[in-house]
Amino acid sequence: MSRPPKQSDRVNLEQSTVLLIDDNPQALDILSSVVQGFGVREQIKCASAAAATDIIKQRMIDLILVDCAMPDMDGYDFVRWLRRETPRPTCLTPVIMLTGHAARSKIQKSRDCGASFVVAKPLTPAVLLQRVIWLASDEREFVQCDTYMGPDRRVRNFGPPLDMPGRRAGDLSTHVGAAVEANMDQSDIDMLIKPMRVAL
Amino acid sequence: MTEARTFKYKSNLSKQMSQPGGRSIEDAVRRADAAVEGHREAGMLAVATALADLEMACRTRDDGAHAKIYEMAAALLDMAGFFDTGPLYGAAYSLCEITDLMMTSCAWTWPSVDVHVRALRLILADGCVEGETSAALLAGLRSVVARSRPE
Repeated sequence: MSRPPKQSDRVNLEQSTVLLIDDNPQALDILSSVVQGFGVREQIKCASAAAATDIIKQRMIDLILVDCAMPDMDGYDFVRWLRRETPRPTCLTPVIMLTGHAARSKIQKSRDCGASFVVAKPLTPAVLLQRVIWLASDEREFVQCDTYMGPDRRVRNFGPPLDMPGRRAGDLSTHVGAAVEANMDQSDIDMLIKPMRVAL
Repeated sequence: MTEARTFKYKSNLSKQMSQPGGRSIEDAVRRADAAVEGHREAGMLAVATALADLEMACRTRDDGAHAKIYEMAAALLDMAGFFDTGPLYGAAYSLCEITDLMMTSCAWTWPSVDVHVRALRLILADGCVEGETSAALLAGLRSVVARSRPE
């Protein structure tokens, strides 16, 4: 990841098309004002996820902001549809989900839907812009398997869970094996890291 | 267990944002903050309306109102979350939390909802100002939620 952005750094969203999805028209208007403030010139507002699916089938979108809780097709179902049912590169579009309260019944759905980010309210423009900038420099790999399609959920890659075999080519074996020698003395370890003058 | 395929991808957003031009982060945030402020009056009116609806639902206690109470509390929270509403946001979040907990555990108690709605009314009437009163109200709500939380 690159260095954290400074206030004087520039953010260029002039060429980006942003899709906003929220069933609350007032929230949609506020969100629209926020992204306009960021310098986005083209934005499309949708009052339902179903309407957004029609838009996505017709044209390219560069960033999607979607509310989690909506009647019928909610934000999680929408992202799942986007990741699994649309062709490339549409299925790889960055998505920021916005949530007020994360209901217990929705937590797993939220983790597994494939969103790039879930941003919890209270939503300040500073936090939202920080997340957009983060997405632009996102170096996470995309993961595709039977049960998941989306950015790597392991933001910090510590490898597969303990005692579980990894499923990715880069995952190391969990089998370390038994020790073949006695443990080193602390004095031996100290000697290994002690700075020493070397005569060349 | 299925094989997972991983791949790198540079999004259009990434490419566009790396182009020269645009505006400084400071300017972008300042403009967006000002735009949000322009919605404050209408937003707070929507919060007050949502609270009045909640109060009505608590009075009538209709059948099947539980999910409706959660939806109304979530709508209030959504709107309050756009503005600096401090304790109001905290109380609305607490109401969402407790209604969600009570629905999940099928152990609904109306007094737990009532006390939240009254706290919301007091905080809103007080201008959503953080202070000793709001802190005491939120502490009370936290203990109500803690009592509903499974062991």
